[in-house]
Amino acid sequence: MTTVNSSEVLIDCQSVWKVFGDNAPAAIKAISERGLTKKEVLQEYNCVVGVSDANLQVRRGEIFCIMGLSGSGKSTLIRLLNRLIMPSLGKVLVKGRDIGSLKAADLRQMRARHIGMVFQSVALLPHRTVLENAAFGLEVQGIPLAERNRTAEMALAKVGLSDWLKRYPGELSGGMQQRVGLARAIASDPEIILMDEPFSALDPLIRRQLQDEFRQLTKDLGKSAVFITHDLDEAIRIGDRIAIMKDGLIIQVGTAEEIILKPADPYVAQFVAGISRLHLVKAHSVMTSVAEFQQACPGVDIRALLRTNPEADIDELITLTMMSDRDAVAVVDDDTIVGIVTPRGLLRSVSDGHTAELAHA
Amino acid sequence: MEGLDFAGTFDDIVDSGLGWLGDNAGALFELVRTVLEGFYGAVLWTLSLPPFYVIAIAFALLGWRVVGLRFGALAGVALVVCAAMGLWPETMSTLALVISATILALIFAIPAGVLTGFAPKVDRSLEPVLDLVQTLPPYIYLLPGIALLGYGPATALAATFVVAVPPAFRLTSLGIRMTPNEFIELGQSTGMTNWQMFSKIRLPFAVPSIMAGINQSLMMAFGMVVIAGIVGSGGLGETIYKAVRTLDIAKSIDGAIAIVILTIVLDRLTQGAARIGYGGGK
Repeated sequence: MTTVNSSEVLIDCQSVWKVFGDNAPAAIKAISERGLTKKEVLQEYNCVVGVSDANLQVRRGEIFCIMGLSGSGKSTLIRLLNRLIMPSLGKVLVKGRDIGSLKAADLRQMRARHIGMVFQSVALLPHRTVLENAAFGLEVQGIPLAERNRTAEMALAKVGLSDWLKRYPGELSGGMQQRVGLARAIASDPEIILMDEPFSALDPLIRRQLQDEFRQLTKDLGKSAVFITHDLDEAIRIGDRIAIMKDGLIIQVGTAEEIILKPADPYVAQFVAGISRLHLVKAHSVMTSVAEFQQACPGVDIRALLRTNPEADIDELITLTMMSDRDAVAVVDDDTIVGIVTPRGLLRSVSDGHTAELAHA
Repeated sequence: MEGLDFAGTFDDIVDSGLGWLGDNAGALFELVRTVLEGFYGAVLWTLSLPPFYVIAIAFALLGWRVVGLRFGALAGVALVVCAAMGLWPETMSTLALVISATILALIFAIPAGVLTGFAPKVDRSLEPVLDLVQTLPPYIYLLPGIALLGYGPATALAATFVVAVPPAFRLTSLGIRMTPNEFIELGQSTGMTNWQMFSKIRLPFAVPSIMAGINQSLMMAFGMVVIAGIVGSGGLGETIYKAVRTLDIAKSIDGAIAIVILTIVLDRLTQGAARIGYGGGK
């Protein structure tokens, strides 16, 4: 996986709450003063807590997935990021600016230039051609026709739709329509793209293809993205980091590996149970420390071992282990050996969850 | 008994009110009358200028472009039938009345509908008024018209205006309010100004509803124009009214046929235009 190359935080959610209902202000007051739970808020104030106390940071160059089932608050959360929904409590900082306190004109600027959005329903204007739809964001910004068409054509080329410029959305398949949606978002060249379950309505093959293309494109263009999904597989495929939501709460944030190998609670564990761990096994997560290895096998010269990098996956590790006559592979980062992968460690990483399941059965 | 007295008092108030308006705002109503008749006269003059076959061909071409070849041909032939029945001037005068009343109604109803589309509270309070206008028997509008505007096309126009306003008003307001939420979000997330949101999102999505409203207003206008024959509207309405009074059944059927032809042609034309307005290039 590509690593996130900067620690600059683009989106910073600080204890963000969203409460829906007529008594929302009173409910918010009670929450901040008395620390009510979601259930108590519903009982006492008849208000629904959409998002409760969400904290998250999206860094530059990162694809951040928010995964949760319907009603978990993920769609509300993503709308808080560009103020389609105003937070009831807490702050959302985008590029260091509190978007809750932006004036109308500044907010429009922020949305037009810095935050693109792609919708599950695609929301292509039916009476406009593919090109006009892709150029829509630029049109709103008042960019002259020739220039915005040129930019939109380039964006459509990036998603492989150069031959469809003059068609209408109704003539396109679902997958192609969503590509237009993506082209529309990237045509304005925003730093952040918000993806609200963009691929949920597509059939599995097309979905996988678009997931890979989206990830590649986002990385190539150096964009950051917040990606909402109800599908953990999708989150794992796309996300650099994943946040798991349930009932408005973010229960766990971490890389796919962290979430799968160390689920924070039984709910996450239940989700993760069905996921194959094999492609998550990375050299750095299965290696033993050098000291431990030397204790177990004192006679082995670790400098003579075959070498690999910390991100090497299971296929690579197996191949290297087979090639080696020493039953161990050195993991090297910045020219120093940071650990050793042994067949024993590999086997343990593969079996871990399964033995746990067998034990329960 | 008391209810009866009350009704009597109410009638007196209405009568004296109308009388007062006639006495004190006479100049105003004279002006309204001049404007209405002038507008109607101009439309009628335009329609009467070319010979009947030119108008028939024009409708045929329009029908062909907007609906289809078969409808275009039928529309042309049907209009020639009106002329063959010897009712051409009446047909054109009815057409002029319907067109001018509908245009006036739309000039009022569409902007008003757009405004109430943004103000649901105003819309809710206007709802009963529109209900009232639409449920009262249409004859009712002719009487105050006669009192204030006199016998003739001005009263017919005013009454037709009143019944033609509600459908376009309601459906415009509905169309503005019914913008799909995802497109509102699209507009917001692309950083639109309020005006852009209206002109690029809300209005285009309201077009089908507005077109349906125009179509409905036109149909209401046709209904009223025939009734307005009683107050000397001229045109087919008056032809039918006179035929009914003299029990000239054949003539009344001729007039009815001409009305039906005109109504169907305009109905299909506006429906076709609505489809084009909605489907973009398709």
